[in-house]
Amino acid sequence: MTGVGKRSGAVFPVLAAALLGALALSAATGPVPISFRAAFDAIFRGTDDTAARVLLSLRLPRALLGALVGGALASSGVAFQALLRNPLADPYILGVSGGAAVGALTVALFLSADASPLLPLCAFGGAALSALVVFLLARRRSGVSPERLILMGVVVGAFLNAVIMLMVTLAPPGKIPGALYWLMGDLGLGTPRRVAVLFPYVAVGTVLLYLLSRGLDLLLLGDHAAFQAGLSVERVKTATYLTASLLAGSVVAVSGLIGFVGLIVPHGARVLVGSGHRRLLPAAFLLGGAFLVLSDTLARAASPAGELPVGAVTALAGAPFFLYLLRRNGRRP
Amino acid sequence: MGRVRIAVERLVLAGFLPVLLLASAVGRPVFAADPFPLALKDDRGVTVRLPVSPRRVVSLAPSLTEIVFLLGRGGSLVGVTRFCNVPAAASALPKIGGVIDPDIERIVALSPDLVLCTTDGNPRDKVRALEEMGIPCFAVAPQDLDAVFTAIERLGILLGAADRGRAEAEALRLRARLARPPSGDAEKPAVLFVVSTEPIIAAGEGTFMDELVRLAGGRNVAARFSGRYPRLSVEGLVAARPDVIFVAGMSGVERFPPEVTRWKEVPAFRDGAVITLDGDLVTRPGPRLVSALERVSAALAGWRAIRPEASVAGAGRKR
Repeated sequence: MTGVGKRSGAVFPVLAAALLGALALSAATGPVPISFRAAFDAIFRGTDDTAARVLLSLRLPRALLGALVGGALASSGVAFQALLRNPLADPYILGVSGGAAVGALTVALFLSADASPLLPLCAFGGAALSALVVFLLARRRSGVSPERLILMGVVVGAFLNAVIMLMVTLAPPGKIPGALYWLMGDLGLGTPRRVAVLFPYVAVGTVLLYLLSRGLDLLLLGDHAAFQAGLSVERVKTATYLTASLLAGSVVAVSGLIGFVGLIVPHGARVLVGSGHRRLLPAAFLLGGAFLVLSDTLARAASPAGELPVGAVTALAGAPFFLYLLRRNGRRP
Repeated sequence: MGRVRIAVERLVLAGFLPVLLLASAVGRPVFAADPFPLALKDDRGVTVRLPVSPRRVVSLAPSLTEIVFLLGRGGSLVGVTRFCNVPAAASALPKIGGVIDPDIERIVALSPDLVLCTTDGNPRDKVRALEEMGIPCFAVAPQDLDAVFTAIERLGILLGAADRGRAEAEALRLRARLARPPSGDAEKPAVLFVVSTEPIIAAGEGTFMDELVRLAGGRNVAARFSGRYPRLSVEGLVAARPDVIFVAGMSGVERFPPEVTRWKEVPAFRDGAVITLDGDLVTRPGPRLVSALERVSAALAGWRAIRPEASVAGAGRKR
């Protein structure tokens, strides 16, 4: 995880182009045929036919949601990996996922059937609550240690998983498919309103993390060294933890549990730009966004059996790619 | 094919008849044709042997419970699943768990002399466990409407109600025939049958709902997907343009959210041709499938009668 030395400055334009390309490809893919001309007219002339409405209110919001979710998950993953000094950390490791799932399932299964506006709210509430509980449990007078955070996160996560299983088992059968798809991760709910709701959370979260990037660099050296370098270690840790949890929680609320992105994309980004957070965070955001948008396009287009949940595709398509990336890098001196 | 098999079995049974007549002549009044002891091959190919007409029957699926009651043998049921709610009397019977999670111990405690099960739904190893304890298990796995009727006849034989089984099956066959539209050049509306509205999960090829749509003279637009229950995006729904949408209503999730129904490109949404059917009716391979067929047929006949002009491609057809 040491700095990999100088990389060419061309990485960021390439990543940005990849994200834009992924967005364009996603907008061009779907069962309703849309000509380039129709797309152009829809965007720049404001036509109002089926093609325009499909493009503007279904495909583009979904693609943008994918970019926001992928970027936020990757950024949150970078932060957790630095905070916990653990390459296996991801946004879900500290119980955020379990809390969100319990919140969402409560709404979907028990409160009312068509409470979709309430679902993201309760998922976010569940995520925030579990993140807070883990934090308070892990805190001691001396501060928060990564080991205790992980331990508490895993224990709370296991408890919440049991609650999830119980809820799914006891649920009336008709309500299970919806909840299961949600648990697997799903961008199908991408409406313009969702994108608008998620945007401020992601914007505030990623900017805050970016401001913390020097602190994250120092945290990697260990608490003691970071303290000696003049860092108010506990404050940085608390801020990082809360910000990364906020990012993960808000994303889970609108898209369910999408795995793999938050765990592996940070490592891929590290291969590209090194482990300095000032470069790593933006790179991870762009890479995560492009990766998730592409995965979702694949999930929509590739299967003859209707749509696949994107959560199933991320790891299926992503694991080989990132294995290649990591191995190639490993061979270098 | 099924009927041939039954005929053969009847011939085999006839061999037992003289013995039975002799035996029963001793004490009891003679019934027309008591086929017991009985050996009948089930849908797994397992030969199930019953020494006497079963008196303590456990059913592991709601469809089977319905069939047993239809055969007039509801009184022999001592255990059913927690999903068995039709007819009303079934709800009052002791519960042995669910379809995929039957409780072996509870079943054994009821000391049944026959367990009725299904190969799609009931776990195979649980059924095997019951068989290893010496409880005869008869598996039924109808894959289409005809096979449901045959299953009713076969269960009739098994439960000592062969005549009743044949009569009920014939009546259902007749109803199914009457429900179908007169064949010919009747227009085939594009139909989508969904089992969930959020997310949109449709019934594809190989489901009873697909068969109902075809029998009723519709064209299932979800049949082009490869899976049995493909999931559709909103855009996929817009691209499929169904004229009529059926919703297999399950516990409350039977409405499309407004952000889906606002797509008036879909003729069914534009014309309000979204019809909710009881989910149990279309997913249980039992006698009520015929009622479902009648409903679907009636809906499609209604669509043909007031066929919304705009959706008819050739506007030349004037009345």
